[in-house]
Amino acid sequence: MVDPIPGELPKPLRLLAFPSRFLPLGPALTLAVRRFARRRPAVFERLGEHARASFLVEATDLGQSFLIIPDGMRAEIKVLSSRSRREADVHVKGPILVLLGLIDGTFDGDALFFNRAITVSGKTDALLALRNTIEDAELKPSDLAGLTGEAARLLDKAVFGAIAGARRLSGSQGQGEAA
Amino acid sequence: MTDIALSLGPVFFNWSPDRLRDFYARIADEADVDRVFVGEVVCGKRMPFNDPVWPDVVERLTQAGKTVILSTLALPSNIRDRKAVKALCEGGASIEINDLTAMPAMGAAPFAVGPFVNVYNEGAASFLANRGANLICLPVELPLSSVGTIARACPDVTFEVFAFGRLPLAVSGRCYHARLHGLHKDSCQFICDRDPDGLPVDTLDGQDFLAINGIQTLSHSLQVWSPSPEEAANLGVRSLRLSPHTLDMVAVSALYRRLCRGEASPQETRAKLRELPLPGALVDGFTRGIAGAAKAAS
Amino acid sequence: MSIELVCPAGTPSALRAAVDAGAHSVYCGFRDETNARNFPGLNFSPEELTEGVRYAHARGAKVLVAINTFAKAGAFDPWKKALENAEKSGADAVILADLAVLDHAARNHPALRLHLSVQAAAATPEAIEFYQQTFGVKRIVLPRVLSVEEIATLNAAVSVETEAFVFGGLCPMTEGRCSLSSYVTGRSPNLSGVCSPPEHVAYEEGPGGTATKLAGYTIDRVAKGAPAGYPTLCKGSFVAEGKTSHLFEDPVSLNASTLIAALARAGVTALKIEGRQRGKGYVAEVVRTFRAAVEAIEAGRDEVEVERMLAGLVEGGRQTSGAYKKTWR
Repeated sequence: MVDPIPGELPKPLRLLAFPSRFLPLGPALTLAVRRFARRRPAVFERLGEHARASFLVEATDLGQSFLIIPDGMRAEIKVLSSRSRREADVHVKGPILVLLGLIDGTFDGDALFFNRAITVSGKTDALLALRNTIEDAELKPSDLAGLTGEAARLLDKAVFGAIAGARRLSGSQGQGEAA
Repeated sequence: MTDIALSLGPVFFNWSPDRLRDFYARIADEADVDRVFVGEVVCGKRMPFNDPVWPDVVERLTQAGKTVILSTLALPSNIRDRKAVKALCEGGASIEINDLTAMPAMGAAPFAVGPFVNVYNEGAASFLANRGANLICLPVELPLSSVGTIARACPDVTFEVFAFGRLPLAVSGRCYHARLHGLHKDSCQFICDRDPDGLPVDTLDGQDFLAINGIQTLSHSLQVWSPSPEEAANLGVRSLRLSPHTLDMVAVSALYRRLCRGEASPQETRAKLRELPLPGALVDGFTRGIAGAAKAAS
Repeated sequence: MSIELVCPAGTPSALRAAVDAGAHSVYCGFRDETNARNFPGLNFSPEELTEGVRYAHARGAKVLVAINTFAKAGAFDPWKKALENAEKSGADAVILADLAVLDHAARNHPALRLHLSVQAAAATPEAIEFYQQTFGVKRIVLPRVLSVEEIATLNAAVSVETEAFVFGGLCPMTEGRCSLSSYVTGRSPNLSGVCSPPEHVAYEEGPGGTATKLAGYTIDRVAKGAPAGYPTLCKGSFVAEGKTSHLFEDPVSLNASTLIAALARAGVTALKIEGRQRGKGYVAEVVRTFRAAVEAIEAGRDEVEVERMLAGLVEGGRQTSGAYKKTWR
């Protein structure tokens, strides 16, 4: 891949860091998730007891953090500066591309723990639940960016393309035992 | 209230024929236990060495008034192992099965079920009881709440709980003694005989953790379940299993006998056990439904 | 005779991905303690299963439902319901391990096809015969302790179908017979459908590097910045006789792709890919590759060529062919 630093965001995608057209990023994301929850409430059942957990996701290359409570129609997302200290059940830290890779299934529950680019602390089981929920929801970056149509297609293609490149960062094995 | 019986479980470790003979001679003469399980359960490769010992051991124990039950392999893995299991099961002696490989050969005869068979609920217990199981030593990780539920549902079966010794936690197709010493399982030189209580395995921080015994992995700590007679009776547990180690098992069985008779308190029993040269700390988490490694109360 | 490829699906979207990628069969479980992959956020509701079965059947694929844990004493209802829901969904088979669940299924769901889970650890013709004659089990998922030669011998001695793991996670311990996880965390595959559960996992930075901890026990330690593995107990690094080593198993995963043809010759009906906890991207890639490999073998193509097709999958992580080669022991 072309990334100079693997896992960091190529320039055009830094758009993601900017507020959407009408709303600041936090409220825009909150609205996007709640809209999604209204459309497909079953998706959030997957979170079970972890729906009210708080996730502090720090995108190291954006200088920004996201405080997320993924509770369906009561979901909340706040955008914070990386410097602000916040308490949360789960802390996740890593380059935005790798974090986005958690969304499409490129990096899965196992890879989460293997990936040197991501640091996880706190309630790891809640993070696993969130990751599995997001993957099953088939949520795309454009859903979060509030984009539609051709712009959405282009953004998703660019992000997933870049994620595929970042894939090499993740060498992972599963636990044994299955069926 | 029915008396709580004491069982001596099978020796898990690779003891020499001489050590086995001496051990069981002393058990026959001095140990106050009701039942003794004998035979190789861990590794079929050890059988050619210890097989010749068993006829004498069984006779000696029987003459001493003990009920003797032959334990079978937990993981029969080749034709020789399978033949050994079949021969034992068809031999007419009392048998403890540790793998369902033994089931076809048992036919309609009654049998005991060892802790390696997965009996996690009353459905599995009554299924086996209908097939002839009359004593079941439940899996070591089962909490007492489940033990009670199962025992109450199957009043005709004697339920036994693994009450003393390093916990048998896993078996594998792979031999860890051989692997540690850079040997192949097929040419293992029987080096597991160097560790008559298992070979200690520590964490990277030097914490006591596990013990290996050929293909078997045990806890480093020793399980201790020391119920009052009332507690055992309320759960429907009618027998306690003591698992042999190189320490004085006669002393261990004497302590448990006093406990079962209500002559010593659980606390006193644990204190006396701790005075013995135990190869590890005492734990009882499994009985409480938490991590098995949780320390037993003082 | 063609080889059936049995593929994992932790979520409905992974099921669709596996079917689209060419899985002949997909296995999955309900979102509760009845299946041995009871991880947060994974698995299916009864409605999702019905929908998944419809999706798979419309594309010629089968769905196998894993109800492969041991029922909790005094609380059999979830397992009963799981069997009912599996039958109602139109699934093609259920994968069971517990004597109580097998007995209940054989008595109350005679039309349901029963497979024996690897968690039942039936590794001998006698044990297999017992499950076949007692419960009418049609297929055995083979414990990962057997070599290819032993599988061939076994298949010659039994009349049930057999299924062998070929790719993904690897247990060095006999599955269904391991309480290492509960010894440390209180939860285990047999008790709770999980191994080394994530809520007990922690990573600690220290002067010696990053320690991966499970319930306070240091399971491994790597240099700062190096990839830290998931602290699955049996893949940890320990000290015995003064030697530090991955005593039980190296942090490797199973890859028996080079043995597909040999396993087929040994009479195995189905090949199983592990990984219900893995992402759908991963699942799709592995399934696609294995499907192509299986077809190439069936078309009689060169095994070296097949090996090359699968080479892409082995990049990065370390792999082993496990017990299938006797030297593993």
